[in-house]
Amino acid sequence: MDLFDAFLSSGVRLTTPILLAALACLPTQWTKDLNIGLEGAMLFGAFGGVVFGLMFQSVALGIAATVIAGIISGLIFGYVITRLNVNVFVAGIALNIFAAAATVYLLRSFFGVKGTLSDPGIPSLPVYNIPFIKDIPVIGAIVSGHTILTYLSWVLVAVMVFAVRRTVLVRRLKAAGEHPAALAAAGGNVNRMRVWAQVWCFALCALAGAQLSVGQLTLFTEGMTNGLGFVALAAVIFCRGKVKWLAVMSVIFGLASAVAVQVNDAVVAPQFAQMLPYVIAFIGLIVLAKTSKDGGIRIATPTMEA
Amino acid sequence: MTIEKTLSGQHSLGPTAKPRKSSNRSALAKQLGRVAFILGAGLLMAVVLIQAQGYQAIPTILSGLEYAVGSPQSIARTLAWGLPLFVATMGVAIAYRSGMFNIGAEGQIYAGAMAAALVGAYIGPMFTGLHLLLCIAASAAIGALVAAGLGWLRAAWNVDEVLSTLLSNYIIILFCAYLVTAPLRDPSRQSGSTVPVHDTAMFSEILPKTQLTTAVFLVVVLCAVTWWISEKSVIGYKWRMTGESPDFAAAVGINVRRARIGSMALSGALCGIAGALLVTTSQGRFWTEIGTSIGWDAVLLAMIARARPVSAMIWVAVYCVMRSAARGIEQVSTVPSEISLILIAGIIIAASARAGIFAQLAKARNAYTRSRGKN
Repeated sequence: MDLFDAFLSSGVRLTTPILLAALACLPTQWTKDLNIGLEGAMLFGAFGGVVFGLMFQSVALGIAATVIAGIISGLIFGYVITRLNVNVFVAGIALNIFAAAATVYLLRSFFGVKGTLSDPGIPSLPVYNIPFIKDIPVIGAIVSGHTILTYLSWVLVAVMVFAVRRTVLVRRLKAAGEHPAALAAAGGNVNRMRVWAQVWCFALCALAGAQLSVGQLTLFTEGMTNGLGFVALAAVIFCRGKVKWLAVMSVIFGLASAVAVQVNDAVVAPQFAQMLPYVIAFIGLIVLAKTSKDGGIRIATPTMEA
Repeated sequence: MTIEKTLSGQHSLGPTAKPRKSSNRSALAKQLGRVAFILGAGLLMAVVLIQAQGYQAIPTILSGLEYAVGSPQSIARTLAWGLPLFVATMGVAIAYRSGMFNIGAEGQIYAGAMAAALVGAYIGPMFTGLHLLLCIAASAAIGALVAAGLGWLRAAWNVDEVLSTLLSNYIIILFCAYLVTAPLRDPSRQSGSTVPVHDTAMFSEILPKTQLTTAVFLVVVLCAVTWWISEKSVIGYKWRMTGESPDFAAAVGINVRRARIGSMALSGALCGIAGALLVTTSQGRFWTEIGTSIGWDAVLLAMIARARPVSAMIWVAVYCVMRSAARGIEQVSTVPSEISLILIAGIIIAASARAGIFAQLAKARNAYTRSRGKN
C-alpha cells in the first residue's frame, strides 16, 4: 500500500495550490469580476515567497511579506477595474503576461540568473508529521506530513462555508455582482465590495504561489505555475459559487496532478499523465455546459466595439 | 458607485457610450490623442524600467532603436522575426471581432508548426512551391480544425470558449511534446525535436543573413485578405454583427452558429500558418519551445488593437520594433529583453484605463476647485 499512500500524500500536497487559488477566485466570481489573472498572481506569489524568504532568511516572514504584497496588488487591481473602468478580462490577461515577463525581468535584474533561481539559502516551509496518526495507513498519508498552508487551506474552506451561511459580508459580495443597484440602495458600497474581492483573491493567490515555490520545490522557475491557475479557474466555474463543490473539484484536480508524479514512465508517457488535469477540466466544462439549464457560466468578455 | 456596470450590461475596452462626433476631424484628433497618450505612457514606463537598472534611459533606447531599424539589414531582421506574429495577430483579431475570444492561439501555433514540420520532413523532397503549399495547407487545416472544434462547442453547447481555448493550449503543447520526445524524435539530437524538413520546404532568403524570406509576400497577402474579409466582405459583416450583438444578428437572419464556427476556423487557420512560418522560414524543424509566447503576444496585440485589422498590423509593427530594440538594449546593457513584454502589458492597461484616468483627474480637479470655493 506504500504506492497508494504516496499517491494520496502527493495528491493532498498538489491539491493545496489549486484549492487556495480557487478559494481566492471564488469571491471575484460572486462580484462578477472573475479574475482570470490568477495564474499571474500565483506566479508573483511564488516569486515573492522565494525572494522575500531569501531577503528575511525566514519562511514565515517571507510568506507574510508575500501576502502583504498580494494585498497591495489587490488594492491596485481593484482600483484599476473599479475606478479606472478597465475591463477585468483585459486586465486579467494582461496580468498573466505581465507576470510571466516581470518575474523573468526581476530574476535577471536582481539575481542575474536566467530561468531558475535555486539557492541553498532559500528557506522552505516545514512539514508537520503528526505523531501516531502518521502511522495509520491511509489516513496518515492524507492528514500528516504536510505544510502549514495545506492545513490552512482546509481551515479556509471551513471558514468560507461558514461565511457563506452566516455572514452579511458574503451576501453583500454576491449582491455587488448580482444586483449592484439594490446593494447601493441598501446603503452598501459596490465598489468597495469589488475591491475587497480582489484583495482576497491576490492575498490567497500569493499563498498558493508560495506553497508551490517554498512549500514544494524550494526554488523559483520561469512559468512554474504552468496552467495551474487555469485549472483552479475551471474549478471556480464548475462549482457555481458553492464552496463545497469547489473543494471537491480541487481535490479531483489535485489527485489528477498526483497521477503525473506517481505514474511510471513505462506505463504511460509522462506528457499524457501531465495532461490529465487539463483534460478533466476540459471534459468537465463540456459536461457542465450540456447539463446546466442556462448553458454554463460565461467569463465576462468585453465587446470589441470602440 | 458603479450602477452603470449593470445598466450598460456589457463591458467594453474603452469609452463607447459617448455618441460619436459628426465631424471627421474631431474623430481624428481623438484618435491622435489616444495614440499620444499610449506612446507617452509606454515611453514613461520604458524610461523608469531602464533608469531603475542604472542606465541613461534615452541614449539606451536610441541605441536599441538603432539596432532595430538602423539599417536595411536590421529592418529586415526585425521584420523577419515579426512575420509569424503578424499572421497570428490577424487570426486572433478576426475571432475577437465576432465575439469569440480565441485565447488558444499558442496551442494552435504549436499544432500548425508540428503539422508543417511533419509534412516538410516526411513528404518530399519535391518542387519547392508545391511542398511549401502542402506544409502551409496542412498547418492551416490542423489549426482550423482545432479552433473550429472549440468554436462548435461554443456555438452548439455554449461551452465557454475562453476557458476551453485556455485549456486546449496545455493539452496541445503537451501532446506535441509527447510526439517529439517519443515517436517522432530525431534520434541524432539530445533535445526533443523532429527531424529537419527538406530544403524544398523552406522559404528562400531575400536578403542574405537577415532571415527575411519570400514568406513576407505570403504574409502581406494573408493580412490583406484577412482585412478584406473582416471589413469589406458580407461574411465579415455577419461576423461583426454576431460579435456586437448576437441576438440582433440572429433576429435579422444571420446564422450565428455558422458565424462563430467560421470565424474561429479562420482564426485557427491563420494561427496554424503562423506556426508553419516558424518552421519554414527559420527553424527548419519542430522543437519543444518553438513558439514560446508568440500566441500570447498575439492575444495582447489583438486586444490592444481592439481587433481592428489595420490597427492590429500597426501595433504588430510597433511591437516588432520594440522587441528588436529590447534585444539591442540587452546587448549594450544588462536590461533584460523581457522589458518589451512588460511594456506591452503595461500599455494595454494604460490604454484601457485612459478614459478612467481622465475622469478621475477631472473629478479630483472639481473637488479641489469646490473646496477652494468654500473657503
